[in-house]
Amino acid sequence: MNPFTLALLFFGLLLGTTITLTSSHWLVAWMGLEINTLAIIPLMAKQHHPRATEATTKYFLTQATAAATLLFASTTNAWLTGQWDIQLMTHPIPTTIIILALALKIGLAPLHTWLPEVLQGLDLFTGLILSTWQKLAPFSLLLQIPAANQQVLILLGLASTLVGGWGGLNQTQLRKILAYSSIAHLGWMLIILQFTPSLTLLALITYVIMTSSLFLIFNYNTTTNINSLATAWAKAPLLTSIAPLLLLSLGGLPPMTGFMPKWLILQELTKQQLPMTATIAALTALLSLYFYLRLSYAMTLTITPNNLANTTPWRLPSMKRALPITITALSTTLLLPLAPAMLALVTL
Amino acid sequence: MTPAHFTFSTAFLLGLAGLAFHRTHLLSTLLCLEGMMLSLFIALSLWTLELNTTSFSASPMLLLAFSACEASAGLALLVATARTHGTDRLKNLNLLQC
Repeated sequence: MNPFTLALLFFGLLLGTTITLTSSHWLVAWMGLEINTLAIIPLMAKQHHPRATEATTKYFLTQATAAATLLFASTTNAWLTGQWDIQLMTHPIPTTIIILALALKIGLAPLHTWLPEVLQGLDLFTGLILSTWQKLAPFSLLLQIPAANQQVLILLGLASTLVGGWGGLNQTQLRKILAYSSIAHLGWMLIILQFTPSLTLLALITYVIMTSSLFLIFNYNTTTNINSLATAWAKAPLLTSIAPLLLLSLGGLPPMTGFMPKWLILQELTKQQLPMTATIAALTALLSLYFYLRLSYAMTLTITPNNLANTTPWRLPSMKRALPITITALSTTLLLPLAPAMLALVTL
Repeated sequence: MTPAHFTFSTAFLLGLAGLAFHRTHLLSTLLCLEGMMLSLFIALSLWTLELNTTSFSASPMLLLAFSACEASAGLALLVATARTHGTDRLKNLNLLQC
């Protein structure tokens, strides 16, 4: 793509998220979300492949619907309470509609059905932007709404962890697996939203780092399904050896970083007298752990026989960028001892 | 709920239902999206009359600008879908199921 167009679209992505992050009026927040959607559409469709076009159309329809519903709910709130401030929404009906609209925007169950298909139609780098950057703006709105005593939040959260774990079990395409893992992590973020919003922000930040590392490794190896992942050991053996740690960090096992949000969320749920919710959330996390283990089994724990000629790519110098993988992979495995500092950083 | 509030709420919900239950063509989906945006335009214009001040009177134009951009992006995607899939029928958008 023309580099000027590409720069303009990335600037549009930055601008949209920044507008939503810094807004206090619902109309301005809606505008930021619209700019984000409009900026990413050409990035998704630039391949001109039928699958990319179909993914872009489905993404556009869901995001436009969610944004329009968001504006409708804030207009209803204005008619009912007389003000447009994001942090002062008190009427329960517009608040529930806004939570559902934002759930459609980020892909929470039961409004998640578009996410695996859309992610499947994109190349890995655009999928990375979709999974990480596009979640920031809606979460900034979710964090600011005074969501007290909302049953719908816990229902959405538990349904998402269940669907994210269960739906990813039968997948062989890596992008769909990452989509279902995204749904599960978003469910964890939403469970704790009404009690301790800072833990939602912590879970979001750690999720962004962990998912980025995995997307970047798949991009480096240029793999999109488990079969090609199995033979990727010959391209970069070092990546193959650290990938299980990253996958287990996504699954939430200590001593990796992924344990931090799950641990703190379960602790907070127990303190709020919700042991059943905590148990269900922890049990559904086991489902996603199974397919993370399956990925690490295919990638690292078995060495798939290659032809002799295909066992040598690692000897050749690689022109691909490895610094982002380095930073995100290290952060994914080693940040657990910094838990108190990270918690202090995200306390709102 | 005032009659004006009821009117634009009903218009929006009808458009949303049309968008959610679209059965054959992608174009009808985009039309319903435009209907939803139009009902929001009416809502914001009536809100300015409720306030009896001019402080908020630019908001319908801002909404119109953004919804026009969105509609044109939707139509461009309709054309792209027609080019790659041959039609805008929704049953043809089934490449990504597996």
